[in-house]
Amino acid sequence: MNEDGSLPIYYNICSAMGNPFKVQATQHRTCVPFIRLLLVALLASSPGAWASNISGTLGAVGSDTMAGLMLRWGEALVTRHPDVRLQFQASGSASAPPALLAGTTRLGPMSRRMTAEEYQAFEKRYGYPPLEVKVALDALVVVVHRHNPLRQLSLAQLDAIFSTTRECGAQAPLRRWQAFSATLDWPYGKIALHGRNLASGTYGLFRQQVLCGGEFRRDISEYPGSSAVIAAVGESPGAMGYAAYNHLTPMVHPLGVAEQETQAILPTEEAIQSGRYPLSRFLYLYVNLPPDEPLPAAERAFIELILSDEGQRIARAAGFVPLSPPTLKAQELTGD
Amino acid sequence: MTPPSDTLNQRLRLARDRLATGLITAGGIGVLLAVLAIAVFLLWETLPLLRLGDTLALAKLTPLAWGTLKAAFYALLFAVPLALGAAMYSALFMSTRLRHRLKPTLEMMEAIPGVVVGFIAGLIIAPWVERHLAGTLLLVIGLPLSALVAGTIWHHLGTRLQRTLPLSWAGLWLVPWFVLMIALAFWVTPLLEQQLPEDDLRRFLDKQWGIDYATRNAMIVGVAMGFAVIPSIYALAEDALADVPKSLLEGAQALGATRWQALWKVALPTAGPGLFSAVMIGAGRAVGETMIVLMASGNTALFSASPFEGMRSISAAIAIELPEAAPGGLTYHLLILAALALFVFTFLVNTLAEAVRQRLRRRYRRLEGHP
Repeated sequence: MNEDGSLPIYYNICSAMGNPFKVQATQHRTCVPFIRLLLVALLASSPGAWASNISGTLGAVGSDTMAGLMLRWGEALVTRHPDVRLQFQASGSASAPPALLAGTTRLGPMSRRMTAEEYQAFEKRYGYPPLEVKVALDALVVVVHRHNPLRQLSLAQLDAIFSTTRECGAQAPLRRWQAFSATLDWPYGKIALHGRNLASGTYGLFRQQVLCGGEFRRDISEYPGSSAVIAAVGESPGAMGYAAYNHLTPMVHPLGVAEQETQAILPTEEAIQSGRYPLSRFLYLYVNLPPDEPLPAAERAFIELILSDEGQRIARAAGFVPLSPPTLKAQELTGD
Repeated sequence: MTPPSDTLNQRLRLARDRLATGLITAGGIGVLLAVLAIAVFLLWETLPLLRLGDTLALAKLTPLAWGTLKAAFYALLFAVPLALGAAMYSALFMSTRLRHRLKPTLEMMEAIPGVVVGFIAGLIIAPWVERHLAGTLLLVIGLPLSALVAGTIWHHLGTRLQRTLPLSWAGLWLVPWFVLMIALAFWVTPLLEQQLPEDDLRRFLDKQWGIDYATRNAMIVGVAMGFAVIPSIYALAEDALADVPKSLLEGAQALGATRWQALWKVALPTAGPGLFSAVMIGAGRAVGETMIVLMASGNTALFSASPFEGMRSISAAIAIELPEAAPGGLTYHLLILAALALFVFTFLVNTLAEAVRQRLRRRYRRLEGHP
């Protein structure tokens, strides 16, 4: 719709279609996209009262794990509201709290929770806490070849396999399949390791949660995508790899992961959403929102989009795990 | 006296020549400026590293530099004997008809995009070789030996048979021989492997010498990248050998030298710089090649010389990490530094090769009697 709320001009052109004898075929064709556009505009604007015209700049500073995800959400928002401009900066989760403090941004995407210090610093500066929104889940799977008899590993074992530092307290490195059981005849030899590249969020999450922040072994083959890791493991019986959850194929099978001596948990969507599967984390969006003010329209539309079915579908497509319906419901924006 | 229309034509031609020269000069200067601009940009983007003051920078880059050189080394190990051998044979021994067919075929080989070669090497050849390791290794050793065997047998054939299988057509009639040898190798390997105490070469290597075999490794990269650099090495080396003044070779043969002696004592020493520059150009291409290494090497930043272990090259690291590195961050600047190193290296190698080639051209002109 136009700014004054009147119907746009193309509506009038296409209304001529009502009389098929007066409209030539060529005109016909050009009119169809117009109508579709109009429909999209009507549909997109129907759910909320704010919908008449959202414009402005949507800025965010924070996690580079979420950079691609934020961008996809942003693009979805722009297709709904073409006047919104995106200004996202991805320089690591640690860059979000200072940017929120300095007031350079109102949105801070973080792939971890704010620490107590960061939280207090924000409260001290503004007098109110930041609004914390869980936007998606990030989960890892550890996979082996589909014929591999191994079914589960503990976190300490994983650390002993993938790291040189063993920060999580394993005694000795685990390098060979025979170390799991001396009677294991196949696969034989060294465990061939596959993983993601340094700059990826998956690499960072694995390092943080499995290696306890330690150093990766150098002989891990690195791939530019999770699908490539899965494919590499799927063709090599002696291989083990880690990848983002959403890329599993029947070529490989995921291992159950156990914390300490407890029972191993298989990475199912339910186990990830409930937090029982150890190799997962919430992704957060922190919002600087004074308690007695409404959210600016662009930011509000953005958060509503994230928590909508479409937003969660986008998260799944980007390699993350959508939030469970109860978590979504608990976070619904109230009508302030 | 010339009619006026002729002088007009001449003037027009002169103007056209001037315009063409001007355009070509401008194009050349433009290219030079672009190269210079790339260098300046890379240098400028590396400067913040000094400010970030990260002493780890070099420690992080050395495995990459090692990986680049290792990949190039194994590629040249595969490509240089094949390409130079092919060049010698086709320049001096091969029948002209076959040679005219061969050159376009090899040029077509160069037209295959690196990403396709890398894809085939990484996703099809690498897993296949892992399953048939023993057979492949037998082939690597056995095929050159079988060529020697074929040569010896040919030597002892009667003159009549030698005439039906002439040396100048060896490139063609050796094909069935090699196919036979490959079939033989894969038929024999399982029997040979059963003689090992472990029944399996990989287990044997592991138990006996602790040799680890990674699916994507330097051997695969060497073969795939070798395949990609063979055409350029071959083309340059073949040109250098074919341009050796005929008078020299004919003189040598007139004095009683065999064709083989003429090759070793006359053609090779004369064309030596040309062969060197061909290898240099190949090395430059191998160092800069990205997709093949990226897809076939496993990208493990290891310090190992083993042909059975992977490596990570500078160009592959840039291709993988740069899209995800935050602009302005440490990783970003490190990658730019790596790109700068790559740029300097390939620039030097190519310049060296070109300089050597120019000298060779002058030498040929002198030998042909044009000072």
